Amino acid sequence: MGDRQQIEEFEKTIRILRKKLARSEKDRKQIESDVAAKEALLKTVIHKLKTSKTTLEQRTQDLQDALDTMQLMQVQLVQSAKMSVLGQTTAGIAHEINNPIGFIYSNLDHLDEYIQDLFKLIHLYHHYLPSPPTQFYVDSEDIDIELIEEDIPQILQSMNRGTQRIRDIVLALRNFSRLHEAGYKAVDIHKSIDNILMLLQQKLSGIEVVKNYGELPLLHCSAGDLNQALINILNNAINAIAIKNGQTEGQLSDPSVITITTQYQSNQQVVVNFKDNGTGISPEIIDKVFDPFFTTQEIGQGIGLGLTIARQIIVDQHGGHIDIQSELGRGTEFLIRLSSQC
Amino acid sequence: MFKSVIGHSNDPDSLMAITEVINECTRSLAGIKPQAGILFTAVDFDHSLILQKIQDTFPGIALIGGTTNGEISSILEFQQDSLTLMLFASDTVEIQPGLGLNASKDPEQAAQQAISQAMAHSTAQPKLCLTFPESLTSSGVVILESLKRNLGENIPIIGGMTADDYAFEKTYQFFQDQVLSDAIPVLLFSGDLLISHGVASGWTPISPKSRITKAKDNVVYEIENQRALDFYQQYLGPETFAANYAIHALAIFDSQDRYYMRAPNSYDPDIGSVTFFADIPEQAIVQITDASREDILKASETSLQEAITHYPGTNPASLLLVSCAARRRILGTLTSQEYQLATTYLPQKLPCCGFYAYGEIAPLQQHSQSKFHNKTFVTLLLGDT
Ligand SMILES: Nc1ncnc2c1ncn2[C@@H]1O[C@H](COP(=O)(O)OP(=O)(O)OP(=O)(O)O)[C@@H](O)[C@H]1O
Ligand SMILES: [Mg+2]
Repeated sequence: MGDRQQIEEFEKTIRILRKKLARSEKDRKQIESDVAAKEALLKTVIHKLKTSKTTLEQRTQDLQDALDTMQLMQVQLVQSAKMSVLGQTTAGIAHEINNPIGFIYSNLDHLDEYIQDLFKLIHLYHHYLPSPPTQFYVDSEDIDIELIEEDIPQILQSMNRGTQRIRDIVLALRNFSRLHEAGYKAVDIHKSIDNILMLLQQKLSGIEVVKNYGELPLLHCSAGDLNQALINILNNAINAIAIKNGQTEGQLSDPSVITITTQYQSNQQVVVNFKDNGTGISPEIIDKVFDPFFTTQEIGQGIGLGLTIARQIIVDQHGGHIDIQSELGRGTEFLIRLSSQC
Repeated sequence: MFKSVIGHSNDPDSLMAITEVINECTRSLAGIKPQAGILFTAVDFDHSLILQKIQDTFPGIALIGGTTNGEISSILEFQQDSLTLMLFASDTVEIQPGLGLNASKDPEQAAQQAISQAMAHSTAQPKLCLTFPESLTSSGVVILESLKRNLGENIPIIGGMTADDYAFEKTYQFFQDQVLSDAIPVLLFSGDLLISHGVASGWTPISPKSRITKAKDNVVYEIENQRALDFYQQYLGPETFAANYAIHALAIFDSQDRYYMRAPNSYDPDIGSVTFFADIPEQAIVQITDASREDILKASETSLQEAITHYPGTNPASLLLVSCAARRRILGTLTSQEYQLATTYLPQKLPCCGFYAYGEIAPLQQHSQSKFHNKTFVTLLLGDT
């Protein structure tokens, strides 16, 4: 490379370096401002996102509240529909059955009297006509008069018991439907429970019901609603026992028991405790049993509203408490606490 | 035959630089006569002198180009304050120049001028239109739409808007020996040309979504009923806003929740409006965007790969890159990697020329209509059959 060329090269390099120096100064300033702007941008975005997050959370909460209200309304709707249908039908049925049973019941005593008179008459015939015509023996050969005389009082007695039971059931039905109309009033919880047990008699067959009733004051409450809550809880206990018996069929197992314990506590709280030795509830789902439409029953069997309604009545309507304790495979206990002032 | 050669100099002296560049080109041409060329230079050169020198050496050559925010070539790679010239020579590809003037006054008329001038001398159906129009006086979308209407929507238009090193004062377009502003120069390619292209951005929306409540064409007056300028300043800071707003384009969402980018280029402190490189519809949902260097380079790679996978031939003869000025700004010292990525996928000696622009033009996919972009990296591969 010639000297001249080399000098030109140097000159070019110097020109380029000068330019680069100016450029780097410009760039440095630009970078500083870029960084500052970026910082500002991120700060504002973070701030905005925080605010929008708060509004979002607020909106989610509002939505959740709206959903809760809606579900509750739905539950109440189902409940009131259920109750009004049940109330109407039970009242109707009770009325229809009551009259014919009345005829039967009131005539049973007369029937007893007449039959006894008839036997008296037969004895008199025997006494005064000891040798009847031959044809009488032929015709009366098949009739064991002694056996009939022995049986009839028993038949009458069982008819009496049967009609008595029908009358009791009808009475319970009427109480039940009338209570529902009644609104708030002073209620004897024990009577309510007995009424319910009477209604559920059929389903309770094979289950021993142990009652440990304490001394309770009358409770001022919405009787029909409370009945509904107790029925739902008892129904679940019966179902759980039935399911367990279905599972353990043929195996040797404990006899089925539902224990109902009531107690009046010094803090003026009435405690009602339903304990069953049915399937029990697994810990994974125990938190969900009060959720609307939560059910482990097969489709068509349960709708999953029983406990939702029970809780709504006991907790929301009467300011009480409802707690569950359960052990899978052993049984479940529902603890209800109501203030006697409720 | 389709041949391209390249020259690049970073000598700040205009005469020295163009002499060096012409020498490089002449050497590579090895006696072949070039028909056309594209020239990208920094703003502070003596552009008339440079253009005159080129015409003196290659009389009548069809040359277009413009000023930039950074130059790229396969020789010096990424540079600022430099000038780069690419020349095309072919006996199978025809290249015709066209020029439209007063783009801001009547873009339709300017586009029509440019296209009809180029078409007048074409003997075959055009295959590609290169253009480097004015960025600051008019809307990029309007210019592109006018070009499309006059050329036909199915012919790919590729290029970028001229720039001025982030001064946003005056940019220049080149046509033959003329240094112009507010102009639309085009080069129309026809004949046995093969091309493929790619475009990608890497910008992502980061602010909460907002609605444009008042806008007309490319001027936005209100966002969320707040003055557009205040909206921007709120995010970027009152002092730092002026130097940085151009980087943070708005992502404009369409009804399918896809977005495209619109970068601002000026604002009016009195009425509080912000002007963009292209139109923004009123009621559009927008977000302020940002980009990391990593995202930007990943997008450059995507653009390159898109062009490479779709190249219809085997050996492209030429590579044109148009990248956004804001990419360069954020990439900083990593800017050179945009070109270097090309060399990892393409032959090292493939002649390459490109620049950093104020808006890019390319179709989103092969065989689809050209679109105006901001913040993107456009790859164009050229060759013959
Ligand atoms: N005593 C219990 N023992 C075991 N599981 C119970 C008991 N009580 C409730 N459960 C569980 O809680 C679920 C919800 O009870 P809930 O009474 O709300 O609905 P259900 O009985 O399924 O349907 P229904 O609306 O007809 O009462 C039951 O499906 C059952 O899985
Ligand atoms: Mg139930």
